[in-house]
Amino acid sequence: MTARWRLGLLIAAMLALAPAVWAVVTALPPFGSPTAAYGQVVNRLLPHLRTVSNMVAAVNFDVRGLDTLGEESMLLCAVTGAVVLLRGSRGEDRAEHAGRVPGRATIERDDASIVVCRIGAPILLAFSAYVALHGTVTPGGGFQAGAIAVSALLLVYLGDGYARWRSRVPHPLMAFIEGLGALLFVLCAALPLAWSVPALTSLLPTGKWKDLYSGGLMVPVNIGVALAVLGGFAVLVAEFMEETRTPESDPVPDEEDA
Amino acid sequence: MSAAETLLPLAVLAPLGAAALLALLAHWLPARSGDCLAIVTSIAVAILCGWIADHALHGAIPHWFGGWTPASSHRSDVVLGIGFLADPASAAVACFCAFLFAMSFLFAWGYFDEVHSHFHVLMLLFLAAMIGFCLTHDLFNLFVWFELMSVAAFALTAYPLGQSSLEGAFNFTVTNAIASFLMLLGVGLLYARFGTMDISLMGREIGRAGSDPVVLAGFCLLAAALLTKAAILPFHMWLADAHAVAPSPVSVIFSGAMVSLGLFGLAKLIVQLFAGSQAVVAVVHGPLLWLGAATAILGGLMAWSQRHLKRLLAFSTISHLGIMLIGVATLQATGIAGLLLYLLGHGLVKGALFMVAGILLARHNSIDEIALYGKGRPLWPAGLAMVAGGVMLGGLPYGLLHSATHLIDGQVPGEAASAAMIVSGALTGAAVLRSALRIFFGWSGAPGPERAAPTEREHEMPDRPMILMMLPCLILTALALAPASLATPFITRAAPRLLDPFGSGAVALPTAGGVSASLATLAITLALTLLALLRHRPTSSGGRAIARVERAPLAAIDALHSGLLPDYVTWGTVGLALLASCAAAFGFT
Repeated sequence: MTARWRLGLLIAAMLALAPAVWAVVTALPPFGSPTAAYGQVVNRLLPHLRTVSNMVAAVNFDVRGLDTLGEESMLLCAVTGAVVLLRGSRGEDRAEHAGRVPGRATIERDDASIVVCRIGAPILLAFSAYVALHGTVTPGGGFQAGAIAVSALLLVYLGDGYARWRSRVPHPLMAFIEGLGALLFVLCAALPLAWSVPALTSLLPTGKWKDLYSGGLMVPVNIGVALAVLGGFAVLVAEFMEETRTPESDPVPDEEDA
Repeated sequence: MSAAETLLPLAVLAPLGAAALLALLAHWLPARSGDCLAIVTSIAVAILCGWIADHALHGAIPHWFGGWTPASSHRSDVVLGIGFLADPASAAVACFCAFLFAMSFLFAWGYFDEVHSHFHVLMLLFLAAMIGFCLTHDLFNLFVWFELMSVAAFALTAYPLGQSSLEGAFNFTVTNAIASFLMLLGVGLLYARFGTMDISLMGREIGRAGSDPVVLAGFCLLAAALLTKAAILPFHMWLADAHAVAPSPVSVIFSGAMVSLGLFGLAKLIVQLFAGSQAVVAVVHGPLLWLGAATAILGGLMAWSQRHLKRLLAFSTISHLGIMLIGVATLQATGIAGLLLYLLGHGLVKGALFMVAGILLARHNSIDEIALYGKGRPLWPAGLAMVAGGVMLGGLPYGLLHSATHLIDGQVPGEAASAAMIVSGALTGAAVLRSALRIFFGWSGAPGPERAAPTEREHEMPDRPMILMMLPCLILTALALAPASLATPFITRAAPRLLDPFGSGAVALPTAGGVSASLATLAITLALTLLALLRHRPTSSGGRAIARVERAPLAAIDALHSGLLPDYVTWGTVGLALLASCAAAFGFT
C-alpha cells in the first residue's frame, strides 16, 4: 500500500466515523451535570466508615483498591520489562566500577550545586515520607511520595556524579525495595482472607478523622505503594544510566551473531 | 463466606505475590529457584481455579473486595466496590490458562538463565492478569487486567532483542496500546452514561436504554479493542509479527491462551453486558459472524503460504480465532459450549505445536520448513505430536476440536459459514501437516507458493534438557486427543451459566455426529498435503501458468501484511469505522 493510498483510506475511515462521534457527543450527559451518584455516596459514607478526609485516596486504596493493585503490578511489570530489555546481553553482572565512554568529558560540579543537592536530597526524602504518611488526610499518597523520593535520589546524581550515585544507591537494594513494596500491598490484600473476610478488608483500627493515623489498612497500602514506586523508578533510572554509560564495545547482539 | 468465596481472590493474589517475591529476591536467588516457584505457583492456581469452577456449578461465586458489596452503598443504582464473579466457564478458562503456564514454565526450563528471575516475574504477572481478566465482574477492573496483560506481553515479545523481534514487539505494542486506549474510551463513555462499572448493574441499565448511541459506541470501542487482542480481521495484522518472533515458551501462551482470552472476554461482555441491546445483538449475529468467517479463510490461506514455521502457526491461530468468533456470534448456549471446547482444544494443540517449533529452534537453529527438510528425524516424538496437531486442526473426527467444531457448526445459519469452517480447517491442517512431513519425515515435493514467503534465521537457547521440552509438548497433545465426552458434562452446565451467571440448568448438546463435516475437512486436508508433497517444479508452459494463477491471490494478501505499522493502524481504523457503520445501521432502522 503506498502512502497516498494509506492516507486516503485513513481519511475515508475517519470521515465514516465522524457522524458516530457527533451522535455520541450529543447523547452524553450535558457539560456541568450534577456530580455522579457514585461520588455523592462516597462523600457521604467514607468519612464515617473509614475516617478518611482524602476521598480520592479512599477510592483508590480502599473502595477500588484492587484496581490500584493492578496498576501497581503494571508498574512492576513495566519496570521489570524495561530492565530485561535494557540489560540485553549485559546480564545481571555489573562491573565493579561505573563504565565510562572514552572521550566523554567528566563535568566537575561546583561547590554551590554540591551543597544545594546534599541539603536538598534529605529534605525531599523527608517530604516524600510526609506525603506518603498523610495520604489519607491530604492530597498525596504512595504514588506521589515514591516519585518525590526518586527525585531526592536523583539529586545525589546531580550533586555527586554517577560513580557516587552508583555506590550510594545500590541497584539490588532498589530492586529489593520495589519488590518489598509490591509484596506488602499483596499481603495487605491477602491476609484478611485468613480471618475469612474479603480481601483488602481493613482489620486495623480506623483511627481518628483528619489524624495522621486514619483509614486503617490504607496506611500500610500507601507505604507499600510508595516503596514500590521508589524502588521501581530508581531501578529504571539506574538501568538507563548504565545503558548510556556502557562502553560501545558491548553491543546488543543481533540474530546474525549466532 | 464459603470457602470458595474466601479463596477466590487468591487465584490472582498468589501469582502477584510470587512475582513480587521473585522481584524482591532476584539478586540473591539461585538460578533455578525462579523456575520452581513459578511452576509451583501456576499449578496451585490451576488447581484452585479448577476447584472453584466445580463449586461454581452450584451457583456463581462472588467476592467483593474490601467487603464493598452492592448493599453497602444503600442505593440500588450505585455499586461502590469491585466484585469478582466466578461462573464455571470463567473459572475453567482461568484454570486452563494457569495449566498452560505451568507447561510453558516446564518447557522453558533453563531458557532464561541470563535474566535471572525477571522472565518469571513477567510471566507470573501475565498469569495474574489473565486470571483477573477471567474472573472480574467490573468493567474498569477488566481494563486494568487487559492492560497488565498487554504490558507483560510487550516486554516478553521483545526479549530476544533481535531486529525482527524488536519490530514485531513494536507493532504489537503500538496496535495493542491503541486497543487499550479504545477500551478505556469505551469504558469511560459507558460509565459517563450509566454511572456504574459493575457489569450486572450496567447490563440491566443497558437493557433499559435500548439503542442509545452511547451504548452502541461503547460496544464498538470495546469490541474493537478485544478484536484487536483476538486478532480478528482487519485488526489482526500484529499477531503474526509478534507470535513469530516471541520466545517459544511465550508464543505458547500467546497463541494458546492470550488471544482466545480476548475473544472469551468479548463473548462474556456481549452476553452479560450488551445482551439487552437489540442493535448490538444484530451486529453480533450478522457482521461479526461474517467477520469470523472471513478471518478463518484469510488466516488459512496465509498459513498455507508460509514457510517460517512460527509464522505459519501464527496465521493458523488467526484462522481458528475466526472460527471461535463464529461460535461467539451464535449467542446460543450450544454455540458458547462449542466456543469453550474449541478454546480448550485449540489452546492444547497450538501450545504443543509452538513447543515443537521451540524444540526445532533450540536444536537446529532454524525455523524454516524448507531449510529444516529431513533434519527432524531424530526428534520423531515431536514429529508425531506435530502430525497429530495437524490432523486435529485438519478435521480428525475425534478429540476436542472435532466436537467443538461440530457444536459451533450446528448453530451456524446458512451453508457459507460452515463451508468457511471446513476450508479454513483444511488449509491450516494441511499447512501444519505439510511442514511436519517435510521436517520430520523427509517427504518433499517442490515448494509451491510458500517458497516466496518471508523467512528469518533464528535460534533459541540451546542445550536445554530435551526431556523437559518434549514432555509438556506430548502431554498437551495427549490431552487434546482426549474424548470430548470427558468435558461435556461440565460444559453443558457451564455454557448457560456464562450466558446468565445467576441462572441454572444445562443445555442439551447434540450427541455424536458431525462426522461427515469432519471427514470432508480431513479429505481436503489430506488432498492439499499430498498436492504439496507430490508437487513437481512446473516445466511446461501450462504448469507455469497454473502456478502463476495460484500465486497471484496469495501474493496479493501477503502484500497487505506489509509489516508496516501505519498500514496496520489504518486497517484498524477501517475496522472501527465498519463496526460503527454496522451498529448505526442496525441501531437506527
